[in-house]
Amino acid sequence: MSHIPTIDRSACSAHGDCVDIAPEVFELGDTAEVIGSGPDKLILEAAKACPAQAIEVVDSETGEVIFP
Amino acid sequence: MKDRGVVIVGGGLASQRCAETLRRRGYEGRIRMVCGEPERPYDRPPLSKDHLAGELSDDEVAFRPPGWYEDNGVELIVGRQAARLDAKRRRVELDDGSELFYENLVIATGAGARRLPPLEGYTNVHYLRTLADARRLREELREGARLAVVGAGFIGQEVASTARAAGAEVTIVEALPAPLAGILGEEVGLWLMKMHDEEGVEVRLGTKLDGARGNGAVEELALSKGAPLECDAVVVGIGVAPAAGWLKGSGLETDGVLTDHAGRTSLPGVWAAGDVARSFDHRHGEHRRTEHWDAAARQGMAVARAIAGEEPDPHPLPSFWSDQYGLRIQYVGHAEGADDVTVEGRPSERDFAVVYTQEEQPVGALVVARPKDFARLRKEIEHTYAQRTNGKEHS
Repeated sequence: MSHIPTIDRSACSAHGDCVDIAPEVFELGDTAEVIGSGPDKLILEAAKACPAQAIEVVDSETGEVIFP
Repeated sequence: MKDRGVVIVGGGLASQRCAETLRRRGYEGRIRMVCGEPERPYDRPPLSKDHLAGELSDDEVAFRPPGWYEDNGVELIVGRQAARLDAKRRRVELDDGSELFYENLVIATGAGARRLPPLEGYTNVHYLRTLADARRLREELREGARLAVVGAGFIGQEVASTARAAGAEVTIVEALPAPLAGILGEEVGLWLMKMHDEEGVEVRLGTKLDGARGNGAVEELALSKGAPLECDAVVVGIGVAPAAGWLKGSGLETDGVLTDHAGRTSLPGVWAAGDVARSFDHRHGEHRRTEHWDAAARQGMAVARAIAGEEPDPHPLPSFWSDQYGLRIQYVGHAEGADDVTVEGRPSERDFAVVYTQEEQPVGALVVARPKDFARLRKEIEHTYAQRTNGKEHS
């Protein structure tokens, strides 16, 4: 669980795809919000599914941007 | 007097977002939503993709389970359309003669598919706008069925992609020599058609529909060039028109309701959002209608925030996405004003970004399978417009 997602609020239109994929990690308000952590695989899948490409995923161990 | 509250006319994305945002902002008044279709509000993009492919059920495209509306005090009036607006008495008349009085009215009736007169009355001609349309069209997408798609916009293209996956034989007929050329440029339009060609779709460009022949159902389309096209079903995707006819005589525009950035119309207590609205675009200093999912979501939310007494954010850059043949195509900005185009990457391998520039600054982008580029280009385009807006303020 080293993947940390952050949401670019100016880009997010609250499509909700991330919430469908990883409900324990994301929640919808005016935009999506990060509310918890979850399996790396699901976080990455959620970031890839985002039609607005508003989710950035960073590896907390290396600091590397994994996605996009 | 009973609470008049907010009446939202329309059952699409803008309406749903408006209702949700009102409650999130602590609005405690009455909320009524008039949904023209016999369904609770649902999301339209899957209708040409996963839902049409049979991978998502009707329940899965609904925004919320039925209980949500009860829990949040949102009254759904389903299967009724607005027939008339009497703004003086703050009253909307529905098609069954009933009337709703409002304190705030949100017009979010969306848009309807433009129809082709020569194809009226045939049983196998489809338009794709509603869940009912999608259910009907899904029946036609069988192995070996011959499907004619009239119009090579994104709806037509997505239907073609879904139909190919279902094993149908697909022909796209498009009047322009390059589809979407006015918006995305000729190169991108032709690239998209090449992709369809590679996926086994027959593409007939620069070809107009002259008429149809068949007994009850279309058997053959007569075209302006080439042989007549034999088919089992026809899908027409030639754009939409704002569903604003019911506003005739109300004092509001019937070709797209003019609003400010928060969705205010020229009438007191009347707002508009989504496809039906012609919202003020601060980047261009004019009113524009935007038929994108993002715009409907943001405008519905903006109206709610304004009703709740907040100042909504300025509109973000327009953007949309399309999923075809497993590829994600994303667009952001304003390509139509570009004076030059550059391509990064490898179009032949379906991995590239097209950057539209104006005076050498990026103003729009179309990205295929390059999410990293999309995020970067959006920031660059935002920068272009931020600079321009600042420039204007200082001059």
